[in-house]
Amino acid sequence: MVIIGENLHVIAKAVSTAIKERDAKVIQDLAKAQTEAGAGYIDLNVGPMKKDPEENMQWLVNIVQEVTDSPLSIDTMNPVAMEAGLKACQKRPLLNSASGKADSKEQMLPLAQKYNCDVVISVITDKGMPPDVDSKIESIMDTVTYANELGIPNEDIWVDPIILPVSTAGEGQGFAVACLEFIKILEDVLPEIKSTVGLSNISNGVPNELRPLLNRTFLVMLGRNGLYSAIADPLDKEFMNLIEGKMPEIVELIYKTMDGEDIDLSSLSTKEVEYVKTAKVLTGENLYSDAWLES
Amino acid sequence: MEYKAPAEAYTGVVREITIGKGKKSLKIGGENILPFHFFDQGSNPNSAKFALEVLDMEPQDWPEHLTQPFKDVIADPVKWAKRCEELGADAVFLRLVSTDPAVNDSSADEAAALAKKVAEAISIPLIIYGSGDDKKDADVLPKVAEACDGMNLLIGPVQKENYEIVGKALLDHGHNASALSPLDINLLKELNVKLCKFFPAEKIVIDPESAALGYGMEYSFSLMERVKQIGVITKDNMTMMPIIADLGGECWKTKQAKESKEQGLLWEGMTALSLLLAGANILILRHPDTVNLVKETTEVE
Repeated sequence: MVIIGENLHVIAKAVSTAIKERDAKVIQDLAKAQTEAGAGYIDLNVGPMKKDPEENMQWLVNIVQEVTDSPLSIDTMNPVAMEAGLKACQKRPLLNSASGKADSKEQMLPLAQKYNCDVVISVITDKGMPPDVDSKIESIMDTVTYANELGIPNEDIWVDPIILPVSTAGEGQGFAVACLEFIKILEDVLPEIKSTVGLSNISNGVPNELRPLLNRTFLVMLGRNGLYSAIADPLDKEFMNLIEGKMPEIVELIYKTMDGEDIDLSSLSTKEVEYVKTAKVLTGENLYSDAWLES
Repeated sequence: MEYKAPAEAYTGVVREITIGKGKKSLKIGGENILPFHFFDQGSNPNSAKFALEVLDMEPQDWPEHLTQPFKDVIADPVKWAKRCEELGADAVFLRLVSTDPAVNDSSADEAAALAKKVAEAISIPLIIYGSGDDKKDADVLPKVAEACDGMNLLIGPVQKENYEIVGKALLDHGHNASALSPLDINLLKELNVKLCKFFPAEKIVIDPESAALGYGMEYSFSLMERVKQIGVITKDNMTMMPIIADLGGECWKTKQAKESKEQGLLWEGMTALSLLLAGANILILRHPDTVNLVKETTEVE
């Protein structure tokens, strides 16, 4: 599993201030820490970057490259900032992201071809977010075909099914199940294609202290279904331990839960019980509530 | 070859709850089939019940065609409650609307004294709701519970903000709790999980919030349907409780219901029928004619 480190994100106050004030150290420290923790890519999420996109992006890419050998994921909706970022990268970067929307097809996808880089393509189109597995597959096949025609091969494309919060009233669990299913069949419909997800969105709206547990469990489940990579927090040690195979008993328990096996909770440790309960929420077996660990 | 009708069997059973005591009691819930699925394996031992609503003060905004059956008693909640009994209600639903700080802010002691009087005056079970103001209810409902000690009433709304204090009082004085959450199945489950840490699940009724026809009823419908399915089909321990549909007030607030009696009865009646189909076990209505209309329509020969 390739982890794209998510911590350089303009929503974080420290990061946005550091960019504004050209404080390289804050950003370099975060980049270094993520590489050391095992991130395969460092995501530079700069949002729309309305002010001085070229200059800002160049500065950012350069200072991060000074301290890490990890390739970069350039994460912005602004095509000008995107191009400046891709141009400045020394290693083959990841364009994050394009979609099936008309303006993205016109402005983002050609950049991936021009700079010969990998590209994240989400299932979103001008019609919005496809609601179920079939329509997600249909949308992504259209956009991938378009990308192929531009000269971008499947192996350079990282498909993103778009994870939505599991806590969304009434619907969130259905979204989670659809994502699992999508990842499972993706390889069959689009051979050689890669995949990625914005993992932490699964736990958006959930009490903060419970978020990592949902993120970790969902990643193990997606990984079993063939997920190639995830944008996530490599500084979560337990998370990295899980995907690096250091917690095989927990992984096994999550798999058993996915298979619907009867698990005797009384024989498990508190931590094991928590993972099983969380997996049951993510498979849709148990109705979600913020108190899912308590029932 | 003999034809065998496909019949589903489910694993979940909705908890059966008794409201009131002795002759003055009724039962709701207990079903292990989906609403009106009489063709499936299982049964619903308790048909839906209908309570008529009484306010603790003379209503200010009720149309005349709604107050008409109670015209001579409407200023006296005790007499009004007795009238409901005479008109065939299964239970009386007393709403302590005057305690609302935005209405009269009347005191918890007054409310408790009235609740007791009404409970003693009628020979059918009583359901009592506070004003819905969670802070004021935290003061009013424990006093009501105490005044009616041991009567096994259904009292609510118990909400996320006050479940600890109200739930404790209901437990101490032997009542059932009506747990209200705002049209959201995840919040509804969460409240039940938290309440059940100290309150018996066997004494909880779910109030998922009922909206009127044309004013969001489909949200209430989908939610009740889902609560019932998750309880009966997937056996979720925290949704296997009977459902209360507090819909009369919502219906008679509408412009349509206020315009004419016929329209009002149909508005309340259609909302009631729809929510029955979705899985409501006890319905709160305002007009006695609606009770008869819905009973006639749903009676199984």
